[in-house]
Amino acid sequence: MAAQPKPLHLEQVNYLEGGGIYGWLTTIDHKRIAVLYGISALLFMALGGTEAMLVRAQLIVPNNHFLSADFYNQMFTMHGLTMIFLVVMPLETGLFGNFLIPLQIGARDVAFPRLNALSYWIFILGALSLNFGWIWGGLPNGGWFGYANLTERAYAPGLNIDYYDVGLLILGISSVMSALNFFVTIVNMRAPGMTFMRMPMFIWALLVTVILLLLAFPALTVGLIFLFADRYFGSHFYEVIAGATPMLWQHLFWIFGHPEVYIMALPAFGMISEVLPVFSRKPLFGYPMMAYSIILIAFLSYGVWGHHMFATGMGPVADSAFAITSMLIAIPTGVKVFSWIATVWGGRLRFTTSMLFALGFILEFTIGGLSGVMHASAPIDLEQTDSYFIIAHFHYVLFGGVLMAILSAFYFYFPKMCGRFMNETLGKWHFWLTTIFFNCTFFPMHFLGEWGMPRRIYTYAPDMGWNFWNMFESISAFCLGASFLLFFANIAWSWFNGERAGADPWNARTLEWSIPSPPPIYNFVTVPTVHSRDAFWVEKYGDVEASGLAEKRVNVEYQTLPTPEEIAAIHMPLPSLFPIIMAGAIFLAGVGMLVGWFRLVFLGLGLLGFCAISMSFEYKEWGEDNPHQVHESFLKLDNRKVGVWSFIGSECVFFASLISTFMVYKSRSIGLPDADILNIPLTSFSTFILLMSSLLMVLALAGFQGGKPKVGTFWLFGTAFFGLIFLGGQVYEFTSFYREGMLYNTNLFSQCFYTLVGFHGFHVFLGVVWLLVMAFAGMKGKIGRSRALSVELCGLYWHFVDIVWVVIFTLIYLMRTIKRA
Amino acid sequence: MSDHAIEHDHVHGGHDDAVHEHAHPGWQVYSLVAVVLIILTAMEIGVFYAPFLQAWLVPMLIVLAILKFILVAGFYMHLKYDGPVFTTLFAFPLLLACMICGSLMLLFLYLGRHTGY
Repeated sequence: MAAQPKPLHLEQVNYLEGGGIYGWLTTIDHKRIAVLYGISALLFMALGGTEAMLVRAQLIVPNNHFLSADFYNQMFTMHGLTMIFLVVMPLETGLFGNFLIPLQIGARDVAFPRLNALSYWIFILGALSLNFGWIWGGLPNGGWFGYANLTERAYAPGLNIDYYDVGLLILGISSVMSALNFFVTIVNMRAPGMTFMRMPMFIWALLVTVILLLLAFPALTVGLIFLFADRYFGSHFYEVIAGATPMLWQHLFWIFGHPEVYIMALPAFGMISEVLPVFSRKPLFGYPMMAYSIILIAFLSYGVWGHHMFATGMGPVADSAFAITSMLIAIPTGVKVFSWIATVWGGRLRFTTSMLFALGFILEFTIGGLSGVMHASAPIDLEQTDSYFIIAHFHYVLFGGVLMAILSAFYFYFPKMCGRFMNETLGKWHFWLTTIFFNCTFFPMHFLGEWGMPRRIYTYAPDMGWNFWNMFESISAFCLGASFLLFFANIAWSWFNGERAGADPWNARTLEWSIPSPPPIYNFVTVPTVHSRDAFWVEKYGDVEASGLAEKRVNVEYQTLPTPEEIAAIHMPLPSLFPIIMAGAIFLAGVGMLVGWFRLVFLGLGLLGFCAISMSFEYKEWGEDNPHQVHESFLKLDNRKVGVWSFIGSECVFFASLISTFMVYKSRSIGLPDADILNIPLTSFSTFILLMSSLLMVLALAGFQGGKPKVGTFWLFGTAFFGLIFLGGQVYEFTSFYREGMLYNTNLFSQCFYTLVGFHGFHVFLGVVWLLVMAFAGMKGKIGRSRALSVELCGLYWHFVDIVWVVIFTLIYLMRTIKRA
Repeated sequence: MSDHAIEHDHVHGGHDDAVHEHAHPGWQVYSLVAVVLIILTAMEIGVFYAPFLQAWLVPMLIVLAILKFILVAGFYMHLKYDGPVFTTLFAFPLLLACMICGSLMLLFLYLGRHTGY
């Protein structure tokens, strides 16, 4: 397991060759992981498509009982969850993000390859958790947004919602890990010369997407934790009877949920922005505005969640505010549509399958956008919400838009991934059948919605006037499903028998096309230096070809097989078993949560911690810079430090969601105890202790940085000791509250208090473990001056835990006067 | 190769966008910050217990907490000394976190009160 660096056979190997099944299970190569994501997502696409077919089969005629009502609920819920979390996101960030980010920015791998593999295996196990109900207990059945309080144990007693809860929690961990990894990779590992304004548009889109992921998922995580607590610990986070409100779930869900829409849409925008210029033989029109639009869309996406909740009675001021922001977000989206049209305009178009899907995307996405902007108006939204109009709208955005873009990218990048073209004839059949039957399936839903057909309806009476269009849509949906059989057949056939593709089969513009297809495991023989946007295009044609209409290539130099000297300079990360074992540990903890056997949870978490520590010592050169970081980072910063800061940023939103819940619920709590029970003298002492632990932490860092490891180690132990005193105080506080009758589920105050302060305490506990690991490593002489950064990273986390406590101490303990207006 | 868009080279020059970190302070500065933190915390507790300051409790506690927050983030987390990249990585999520807190409190405690929110 503890593999040591060995010479790799880099000369002849493309990334698909060698290693066998064990090689794929232990791979940490970004391209292989991308392929794993791709295969998994395609399998889930088949599953999600089948679920959709079953939904349409149920609705094909009135008064139909082809499916039971409960199974129908499970099918439309799983269709949504599968397509969003197991198909679209894994294809966009898992497949294309993984494969393309290092290649397009000129890097050899992502910033943290083992974390990348871990993300994949956690994704798989999260997907299995979500789908476990196929064999035991029933699938999630509360809609993809699982609205409270129908998800409470009283109304959903089976395991269905538990699979939803635990599955999404696990998938969230995977998504945040991937996002952090990609963020650091893009920010810090770009090739020399690749400034932000020279990045390919797909990289821009991915960069903003992963920021959204990092800062949106924690809100959902908090909502899911509350749901879990309600279902397993008897709390009442979403129950009116206890003074709570189900609206809290909706807010937390949509604070995540609307950015989630752009998490799916932005990579699609990026893909289209790569495909259109190549097949129009023109540069992307309005590159800076496209980049700024992506940023603006992302920023605004955090302020529009309320338009999903106009019907909940937020009040006229809130409705108006969310209506304005929702209308505003249409502006940058419109800028992008016009830029794509202007890119195509006047170009010498090549109507490949990829280009057809890209053009189809513009049309269908625009239709979806136009029906979407209607919902920014609260009165119109009240008419259309929860009707089939909404189903039509978001399928035009997510199928006609996002999935079309994914298909376009599939046909475009397939030759780069496996060195063979996909079959164009089959591809064009696929395009036309998909486009025709997609519109036949979803366009009539606008009418059905306006005629009053509610979404999620199980069946309908024959005299509603919906019969014909439902029959029409269902038959179209079956044909649409059949058109995807062509796609799957095309992939399978082309993988083995497709026409061979060279390094640059489309005469493309970006760095990934300058290396062989499929790429070698090291990507680039030598790390490129970039001097312009569309770097490879300018390399081929020179600056005079700014119009992009060149006939003749000049200076084409594809990277070829490396010389022995070049091989010697290439250092690639080694395969590792830890990621798959760690994912298994998380799965174990997840199963323990599902069956309510918390010993299994602790076993899983213990194994996870053990593996995390062991993985730190996997390389002999422990604590050194990542062995794969073979070239100077773009910002001259260590990847790990950027990563820790990004993680801290994500944690800010996590704690903000917990703290705001406490503040909202504090005044709603019914009965005693309330905030008067809090022990201020004890907590003041704990606060001093924690603040002083931060002092010891920086003294430890100063010791290591000053070349005095013994001093540093001493202060590290001191910091851990102070952390333990703080934890001891918290244990004493909790047990004394417990003795006084304040149980976890006594009232809203108690459950909010224990959850917030408990999670902070858990962070302190993790910090203490980290500190002790560092201290023992220091004792063994493993942390020299050159490795002081490892201590600094631990310190950053510790200080963050400290400043979270500064906020908690003030808002929760000292500030007791905020009451509901 | 200056007229080429891509150069393949082992040697990389400096980058204009590169971030330079400054040396961290010594134990004297750290200790001084700790003393200030202790004083600020003592002031917080004093404000909490002083009956005549109850009317100003909330704004004073907020100001004191912000000061402590800035001191720990600036000196102990080295944001004052490290490049602006890290400050940005922290400040943007923090701003968003504050907006989420503020929005939810506004929605539940004020704007939605007439509708039984």
